Amino acid sequence: MNSLILKMTTRLIMGLLLVFSVFLLLRGHNLPGGGFTGGLVAASAFALQALAVGTREARATLILDPRTIIGLGLAISLASGFPSVLAGQTFMTGIWDKTVLPVVGKIGTPLVFDVGVYFVVLGVVLLFVLSFANNSDTEARKESQWN
Amino acid sequence: MSSSIQIVLGIAMIFGAALAAPWLQRLLGARLGPVLALAPVIMFGLCIKAAPAVASRDALRLDIPWATELGISLSFFIDGFSLLFLLIISAVGTFVVLYAGGYLHGSPTIGRFYLFLLSFMAAMLGIVSADNLILLFVFWELTSITSFLLIGYDHEEEESRKSSLQALLVTGGGGLAMLAGFVLLGHLAGTYRISEILALPSGQLAAEPSFPLVLGLILLGAFTKSAQFPFHFWLPNAMAAPAPVSSFLHSATMVKAGVFLLARLHPCLSEHPLWTPVVGGFGAATMITGVFLGFGQTDLKKILAYTTLSVLGTLTMLLGIGTELSIKACLIYLLAHALYKAALFMTAGAVDHETGTRDINTLSGLRGPMPLTAIGAVIGALSMAGCPILVGFISKEYFYKALLDAEGPPFLWEIAGVSASMVMTALAIIAGIRPYLGTVAKTPKHPHEAPWTMWIGPLVLGGFALKFGILPGWVGDHLITPAARAVLGQADYHAHLKLWDGLNTALLLSLVTVIGGLILYALSRSWREHSGKLYAVLNAMGPQRAYFGILNGTLSFAKWQTSLLQNGKLRNYVLTVGAFTVFLILLVLPRNRFAFDPAAMAPVSLLGVLVCLFIIVAAVATCFVKSRFTAILTLGVVGLGIAMIFFMSSAPDLAMTQVLVETLTVVLFVLAFRNLPLLKDYSSKTIRIRDAVAAGAFGIVMTCLVLVAFQFRNTPSEVAAFHSANSLPAANGRNVVNVILVDFRALDTLGEITVLGVAALGIYAMLRMNPTKP
Repeated sequence: MNSLILKMTTRLIMGLLLVFSVFLLLRGHNLPGGGFTGGLVAASAFALQALAVGTREARATLILDPRTIIGLGLAISLASGFPSVLAGQTFMTGIWDKTVLPVVGKIGTPLVFDVGVYFVVLGVVLLFVLSFANNSDTEARKESQWN
Repeated sequence: MSSSIQIVLGIAMIFGAALAAPWLQRLLGARLGPVLALAPVIMFGLCIKAAPAVASRDALRLDIPWATELGISLSFFIDGFSLLFLLIISAVGTFVVLYAGGYLHGSPTIGRFYLFLLSFMAAMLGIVSADNLILLFVFWELTSITSFLLIGYDHEEEESRKSSLQALLVTGGGGLAMLAGFVLLGHLAGTYRISEILALPSGQLAAEPSFPLVLGLILLGAFTKSAQFPFHFWLPNAMAAPAPVSSFLHSATMVKAGVFLLARLHPCLSEHPLWTPVVGGFGAATMITGVFLGFGQTDLKKILAYTTLSVLGTLTMLLGIGTELSIKACLIYLLAHALYKAALFMTAGAVDHETGTRDINTLSGLRGPMPLTAIGAVIGALSMAGCPILVGFISKEYFYKALLDAEGPPFLWEIAGVSASMVMTALAIIAGIRPYLGTVAKTPKHPHEAPWTMWIGPLVLGGFALKFGILPGWVGDHLITPAARAVLGQADYHAHLKLWDGLNTALLLSLVTVIGGLILYALSRSWREHSGKLYAVLNAMGPQRAYFGILNGTLSFAKWQTSLLQNGKLRNYVLTVGAFTVFLILLVLPRNRFAFDPAAMAPVSLLGVLVCLFIIVAAVATCFVKSRFTAILTLGVVGLGIAMIFFMSSAPDLAMTQVLVETLTVVLFVLAFRNLPLLKDYSSKTIRIRDAVAAGAFGIVMTCLVLVAFQFRNTPSEVAAFHSANSLPAANGRNVVNVILVDFRALDTLGEITVLGVAALGIYAMLRMNPTKP
């Protein structure tokens, strides 16, 4: 795909979409949003970049491989269950810090868990999008060696 | 530290040694066997140390909570009967571990072999010390699995693979039946704790109407494990395993697990009148079948395997008879058999190892090149034949006494027992004495003495057989009495054992047995030469045929239904899933009433009607457009329309997710379909009509489902009320949906994202496979 307008627009709204996804993630505990929707928004941002500019650029922006992101997300979600075990409660009991921070709100292990969900969803969707794009794009086929 | 903790830690230590074995292999090389043998030696020492405490008190106990809500705990219970088994397992285990070092010398995978062997040993020790039915089952299945891995150790041989699978399916299948029996038994007794079940007032459980079922299921587990007729066929086939495995698992220990279980539960199960006819009957059938089939064999290990079958039958039969005398005989027979049969298997393995053959017709005169192995084998064979001053003599004596004492049809037990013992005597000479006599015959390898690790076991075990035979009183007081007390459930029972009990009927029968055995031995060669056809016919008609029938039937059924349901066409998958869903819903739907009340519905807005029309038009268009891109887009329109409905019904969370998922789906579809050709009319008119009918039925059924569900709209639900009430105070969140996802039901979400991640990796792997490349 080669559309200058799409490329420029992507560059503009990419950052906005990512900020919006984090916003959704953080507000999820009280208002519509959460890790799942946040992750999907972030994934659509990268999918847009992959379509408009190219998978190589999208991968570069992403820094990490989608597979690593999935693993990272699972590790974060799993780890969020352990602080309560150390505190002598059952696995995955929510532990909260009662002070309300600006923008973020209260911090607690369920939020950490949601961050993990965010990353897993982001990783899964991008794994599909990027490998489909790779598979169906002759130019990108060379990139699979770079991968 | 109490003795019970020490023994449980000993079991854990052997598991640890098993896990360390593959690493130690590199570090220790040829010394691996002797070093690993220290683990069972320590275990043996711990058991000896615990023996006085077990004899004086009734049992050692240890309880570690596990899933206490389910009545399952890691509880151990070591009484005299456990101790007898613990001693046999660790003593024979020590020599088997040493022996394996010599037998598999230089094998690159010997570390793996020890991993399996020691895991098995630990699991077997666990079976005999478990006090919880479920814990016992876990150890039980662990022995089945390790046995599978050990029989299939030479996994490049097809026969090994087949035999190991057979052993696993037969014993594992029986194990499942046994689990069902255990659950029922635990349900009837109100506890899974074996010691509590045995302590229930006598007759209480046996009076329950479902008790015969419990008995049958548990017997199925015990009979398959201990290779009782008609499940006996797996044991001779298991001789595909290396010799150390045969001498440990398939003679001295694992196959006795079934006998152990029957004896352990004897006080409870034997109260039912079916016990003696069923257990005694199957035991006797196995006893006869074993020696009869063994008499036609020429393979040294197979002969020993069939005699093991016969002995397992004998032990089961004695338990079935269930008198004080028969329990005593069973225990002493069990001890004697473990000693001589492990030794005979080790010597048979040594002969195979040094000469390259196991054919009894070619083996001869090995006493010269292999003197120490010969001594071990001859002592073992004499004990098996029941010769005086060896423990085998004592066991046969008490076996006959128990039969003479047993109730039932006159002479039936005696005739069965004596004839089986006669053949056994002949087979003992054939397998343990004959190969060492005469002149040296030509064998594939030039024979010489085996390494020390391979003859030490038979010699020491033979020494025990001699010691126990000379001092039966000591064995009776210290080993058999505590064990018999546990099996009989009588705390004041005392088992006297004597070498010389005067001239009596049992002694006379022993004499008859020896003479008969010698005559049978003289006839054996010509019998083997002329009976080939008979055995071939029996083999073809035997229960193994049923096994293969069931196995192949299952496989071809699986193939048939796989090719029917999973034929690789996406459209058929969708059709199958859809049709089956419709079928299932239709099964339950007519039982509900349709309480469709238009008045109770929310007012219909113009916008709502427009959106619905929009969706319908887009859906119909999807079916008729000629290009994939258009189809994807119209489908996307359907999805967005549904998102609109969510918005209008104040479900912003759902709507947002729907929009995002819909968008990404369209992107993925476009990427995936980009390289495919234009849609063509692949399907005929009939197929299209069929698809339309299926789709229409699905839609109608789903609509009905919604209408039925409508009446429950305002039904208060405890779960919903709980979540709404506790979301903010307990979980600090106002968005109940999200709080459920990340807090109340976070474990479910963790499971879901794990599945999502694994599925993504699977799809990734499939995409990476390029079908055009070879």
